[in-house]
Amino acid sequence: MSQTCPVCGMEVEETSPFKTMYKGTMYYFCSNGCKKAFEKDPEKYLREGPKGMP
Amino acid sequence: MGLRIKKEEELKIVGMHCSTCASTVSKAIKGVQGVEDVNVNLASGEAKIVVQDKRKLKDIINAVRKAGYDVITQKFNIIVEVSEEEILKVKEITEGIDGVISVRAGRDNLLVEVNPMTTSPETVIEELKKRGYKVKVSNLKQSRKSDFKDLLTRLVISSIFTSLVLLFPSPVLQLIFSLPVQFYSGLRFHKGMIRAFRNKTTNMDVLVSLSSNIAWFYSLFSFNNPFFSASSLLITFILLGKTLEAYLKERASEHIVSLLNVKARKVTEKGEIEVNASDLKPGDIVTVKSGEVIPADGVVDDGEGYVDESIYTGEAVPTRKKKGDPVVGGSVLNSGFLRVYVTRTGERTYLFQVVEAVREAEAIRLPIQQLVDKISEVFVPTIIAVSITAFLTWFYILHFPLSFSVLIAVAVLASACPCGFGLATPMAIIVGLRKLLKKGIVVRHGEALEKLKEVEAFVFDKTGTITKGVIKVSRYEGEVELASSLEKLSNHPVARAIATLGKERHDVREFTEFKGEGVYGKVDGKDVIVGKREFVMKNCEGDGKDADVLVCVNGRISGYIWLEDEIKEEAVKVVSFLKEQGYEVIVATGDSSNFADRVGETLGVKVHKGLSPDDKVELIRSLSKRVAFVGDGVNDAMALKEAYVGIALSTGTEIAKYAGDIIIPSLEVIPSLLKQSKRTVRKIKENIAWALAYNSVLVPIASGMLYPFYLPPEYAALAMSMNSVSIVLWSFVQ
Repeated sequence: MSQTCPVCGMEVEETSPFKTMYKGTMYYFCSNGCKKAFEKDPEKYLREGPKGMP
Repeated sequence: MGLRIKKEEELKIVGMHCSTCASTVSKAIKGVQGVEDVNVNLASGEAKIVVQDKRKLKDIINAVRKAGYDVITQKFNIIVEVSEEEILKVKEITEGIDGVISVRAGRDNLLVEVNPMTTSPETVIEELKKRGYKVKVSNLKQSRKSDFKDLLTRLVISSIFTSLVLLFPSPVLQLIFSLPVQFYSGLRFHKGMIRAFRNKTTNMDVLVSLSSNIAWFYSLFSFNNPFFSASSLLITFILLGKTLEAYLKERASEHIVSLLNVKARKVTEKGEIEVNASDLKPGDIVTVKSGEVIPADGVVDDGEGYVDESIYTGEAVPTRKKKGDPVVGGSVLNSGFLRVYVTRTGERTYLFQVVEAVREAEAIRLPIQQLVDKISEVFVPTIIAVSITAFLTWFYILHFPLSFSVLIAVAVLASACPCGFGLATPMAIIVGLRKLLKKGIVVRHGEALEKLKEVEAFVFDKTGTITKGVIKVSRYEGEVELASSLEKLSNHPVARAIATLGKERHDVREFTEFKGEGVYGKVDGKDVIVGKREFVMKNCEGDGKDADVLVCVNGRISGYIWLEDEIKEEAVKVVSFLKEQGYEVIVATGDSSNFADRVGETLGVKVHKGLSPDDKVELIRSLSKRVAFVGDGVNDAMALKEAYVGIALSTGTEIAKYAGDIIIPSLEVIPSLLKQSKRTVRKIKENIAWALAYNSVLVPIASGMLYPFYLPPEYAALAMSMNSVSIVLWSFVQ
């Protein structure tokens, strides 16, 4: 199943090695950079939606 | 204007799993100078590239790797039968072959990385053979033909016939007896010269062949006063030096490949039969008696004994082995009797991996090498020029007889030896690497020895490196039963400790591991998260107390686990040694518990805790110092690569799976590693200085600058061949 990277808005497969869990929900990222950006301020991305590649 | 040939290359890219990836890769490749067009196909993982110069391939691959993806390449080792100073020319030729990405040169071997989409090892070898080089892929079965034996045969023949030449004054007899010396024993030099000229290069063979041929053919013209004895002695002396050198070189590389010649007693239905160690297969059972070498990697099936495992632990005290214990091929059973179930043979054995690693490490290029390469390039032409100048000076200006002037010219050619430069680095490295191997240290990248000298800080991983890595749960509160079931699916050391807490088996679904953070899964239908404090706190409600690991069930924190891990004795010693030597020492750990701080206090060093593998890389970068990272070669692969020098602490025998430039069996060896690396690097420089000094003294003497004292060609040749022998011998003293 495909997921959306919450930081850049790209489509990501669930097999992506870049993933985390926040408030009990899984998030998948297209790159380590996106994951890092998300972890810095997850609320911002969840509130405002994808911002494009950091 | 030169014709510019455009090259199309195809690469297989790994790790692209979204469309951004494809554009990132494409951008990275386009950024490389000389790339004209790129077409990255996400579905097939292939990139088609149009590039002006095929030598850019390496830059392209580096760019892809830098962007976080990888390219499938194939590496292989080939052995080339040439003299040391020529290997660089062969390297250059190989680099020009289509599809070759990079080439590293060793003493007599090349480590070639190719793009398997374009070429294959066979094609590369074929190309080199076309150029007149004898090449083969290095592997276990084709053990190397002994250069020493070939030289010895030629030496014996030339010694016999040279003695005859010296015994009989008759020019006719001298001519006859000198024939086998000149054209059989000396043939390898003449062949070498022809090959060198074909490839527009020069080497030592050119000097030997020219000098002996000039002396021999000149004798045909001045038949009443011939130099047959000079030309024959010249070849004999050079062969003597070369044979001695080959013997010493073979001795230096000897004990490491010893598994090749080991015999094994294999147990079959018909009883025990003797086979070669290289013919064993996994699953075979072999018996080993006391005093014998264990022929392959395996597990003790029956019996008991004391095994000397110093080849891979560096530990001289034998270890007791009983049923179920692993043994390593190449170690020696000191006493007892073992039946061994073979698990790894041939190229997969520890010893073979070590041999390959060391071969790769021998391809070291120190900065000083650039100077040496420049000297080697101009060396032979310069000597030829000196020789001609000397001849002209003695004959036309000083009006000496023709035969004397020819002798001087020949002596100059025979006195100069470029091989010393070629030998200086590899010999010192080979001996140094063997010394380290005896302590169980495997150096994979020779450059690391030089780089170690420049290291300013040591960063140690904690778990398993500084501490014993046997993480125990010191206490726990609340819910751990479900957590334990979940952790059973993870391999992380903390997970393994927690996995022992539970008593029953529970049903686990949707298991997911977050590297360096924790795990999630549905256990008996409940959402369970087990992980680091910070990770669990982000996801669940409740108080985390001061526990190291938290358990969260259905969104609420309900379990608390505290951990401990003992510090290794040698860690304390090594850290204080390094601090005394003026190194900055830092501990970096993924552990975020208070225990990490306690480790820092005990060792008196700074601790960076709660780091993910990526954070460790960041830390190394941010230190902006030359850092040696010491860590577990499996989990810290990225940090080991990022560090200036990566030192992996091995716990097993499969060195291929460890990242890092140097693999050590325990922290204890770090002081001797530092010492030996300094010694080896110094030795290389000494060897080069020696080769330079030797030539700059000998060549002027040979050209007759100290007349009436001068060197007859045969003694010039003897002195020259002793140059390489002395470098080899000097390299042994480390």
